[in-house]
Amino acid sequence: MSKGLLTTSVGSFGKPPYLAKARSDHAAGRISAEDLDKLTRQATQEIIDLQVELGLDILVHGEMERGDMVAYFAEHFPGMSIGGLVRSYGNRYYHKPVIHNELRWDGPYTVDMWKYAQSLTDRPVKGMLTGPYTMVDWAFEEYYPSRRDAVLAMARVVREETLALQDAGARYIQIDEPAASVRFDDIDLAAEAMGIVTEGVTAKTITHICYGDFAPVYDQLIRIPVDQFDLEMANSGYDLLDVMREKGFDKEVGLGVLDVHTHKVETVEEVVAGIKRALEFMPPERIYVDPDCGLKTRTWEESADKIRVMVEAVRRVKAEYAIE
Amino acid sequence: MLVTVVGNYPKIPNLPRPARLRNAFARLDRGQITPEELAKVEDEVTIEVLKEQADAGVELLTDGQVRWFDEQTYIAGKLGGVEINGLIRFFDTNTYYREPIINGPVAWREPILIRDYAFARDNASRPVKPVLTGPYTLARLCRNDHYSSFEDVAFGLAEALNAEAKALAAEDPPLIQFNEPAITRHPEDARLAESIWRRLLSGLSGETAVSFYFGPPGDAVAAALNAGFTTVGVDTTIPGVLDAIAAGPKPPKLAAGIMDSRTTRLEDVDVLAGHVEAAAALAGSDNLYVNPNIGLEFLPREQAQAKLVRLVEGVNKARGGAK
Repeated sequence: MSKGLLTTSVGSFGKPPYLAKARSDHAAGRISAEDLDKLTRQATQEIIDLQVELGLDILVHGEMERGDMVAYFAEHFPGMSIGGLVRSYGNRYYHKPVIHNELRWDGPYTVDMWKYAQSLTDRPVKGMLTGPYTMVDWAFEEYYPSRRDAVLAMARVVREETLALQDAGARYIQIDEPAASVRFDDIDLAAEAMGIVTEGVTAKTITHICYGDFAPVYDQLIRIPVDQFDLEMANSGYDLLDVMREKGFDKEVGLGVLDVHTHKVETVEEVVAGIKRALEFMPPERIYVDPDCGLKTRTWEESADKIRVMVEAVRRVKAEYAIE
Repeated sequence: MLVTVVGNYPKIPNLPRPARLRNAFARLDRGQITPEELAKVEDEVTIEVLKEQADAGVELLTDGQVRWFDEQTYIAGKLGGVEINGLIRFFDTNTYYREPIINGPVAWREPILIRDYAFARDNASRPVKPVLTGPYTLARLCRNDHYSSFEDVAFGLAEALNAEAKALAAEDPPLIQFNEPAITRHPEDARLAESIWRRLLSGLSGETAVSFYFGPPGDAVAAALNAGFTTVGVDTTIPGVLDAIAAGPKPPKLAAGIMDSRTTRLEDVDVLAGHVEAAAALAGSDNLYVNPNIGLEFLPREQAQAKLVRLVEGVNKARGGAK
């Protein structure tokens, strides 16, 4: 009997309303860091419990302590800070970080929260980091002589954090690079930087890449040195599977089966069909099933409804294909 | 030589200045103000933005596109045959736009920018130009659920924007500008773009400008001149772009994007002056606009202002040298 089709999620979950309020209260100086931390841990415990209840195999800590995936690290890395407001769309703005000095690591920055989350469950919890290319691309870079210098310096910092998570016992470490697919000329740089991060790392390494048109850059993209590529599939009708099948793919895939940008819940049949398309050319032990992207923009109820469908679909496929 | 900008401008300042526009939208969402009160704030912010540009030394202003949520939907959303869908990343920037979906024949129904343009013109200390997103870029960033080909979508949009441009021309602006970043990502489409732009410019007699950014324009410059644009804008911070223009047909007027609006680093005044001089040597300073390479909205407001001031320092240095 073959094994596989482990279920997981990409990283973030939405912040519960009490935590969102506590974060703005803390920013305004109305509550202490200790009080905020208490509520952050409460939300982390609740999201771990929810994932266990939903039946996921590999968990995430939910990123309750993070504003966003770049800002959190920009607040902590020496050489980086939070800059002025830039609009992302409409009436949404974010503080775009700035690299203003030499990047250094004086962490760890993520190990405490990972250890806390892992202490709440016997199932593995992923360590969650943002990759060097995305960290630089989504910041203003004012210090290094070239973009390449900045990305490689950032890679050395992210590597230290990766090793710290591994030393703490993390078996899965995810280093997300959502920006890696948008600038064709830079994919080799993103891959070189990831090589610095993952060299000699024995924990399973994963990268999540999204928003891109993968087909034209597929050959370059899959050279990014990680064990697993976590990719959005559902929101593009699983088109990418055809490219992988045609051009070859020998790594693990995190198969995104839930479109996180719509309220609409997928049907079990849709998800079953997607998983079967991957099984046509990949063994189940190399397929992990998860949503397309972080679930930060969905409420916990919406997320749970979607994940239930995913878990049920995996159960059906496993039964039909006699997968353990 | 005139100092100008490409289009958008940051909408909200950072503390201690209040984010009035952002707060007004939040209050509108909570039902605490009316759409008319929001429109009043948009007008006031437009005046603020016009003044900031003029104070920095910009000589031909825009309204900063203060009312635009993104570069596609403000125009496309007011055309017939278009509905607005979910968020998509805008080129390689970490910003987003809502995807227009073409679900019927594209039709211009009423003026879209005239009120904004007239308001800005009437409230500015210096001349103002209207800026639209061009038909090729709009077509590229739409989803087509109606026409049988991309060409048909683009021609439909060119027709509609031609009607809008004619309505704007009646207001007698110094020029009408179309931003066409998408063609720099599809150099193979230059000939197609030429026929789209012919349709766009049909019957327009005044100065018409096209602005290319996010990459080298390649054959799009010649295509734009063949189609009848009088002014071509390019990003001269990209190595080789000016040389390529020098090797081809000479635009009657050149708009040189000499400063990078995607980085907060302040350029050296001498470097900027060098870019101005190189552009002036090519186009002649009487036929030259100098501007940032793209809209200023990718920068925080204070940095945008500081970079405009620096750009003007570079221009002044070059002007001094030219005396």
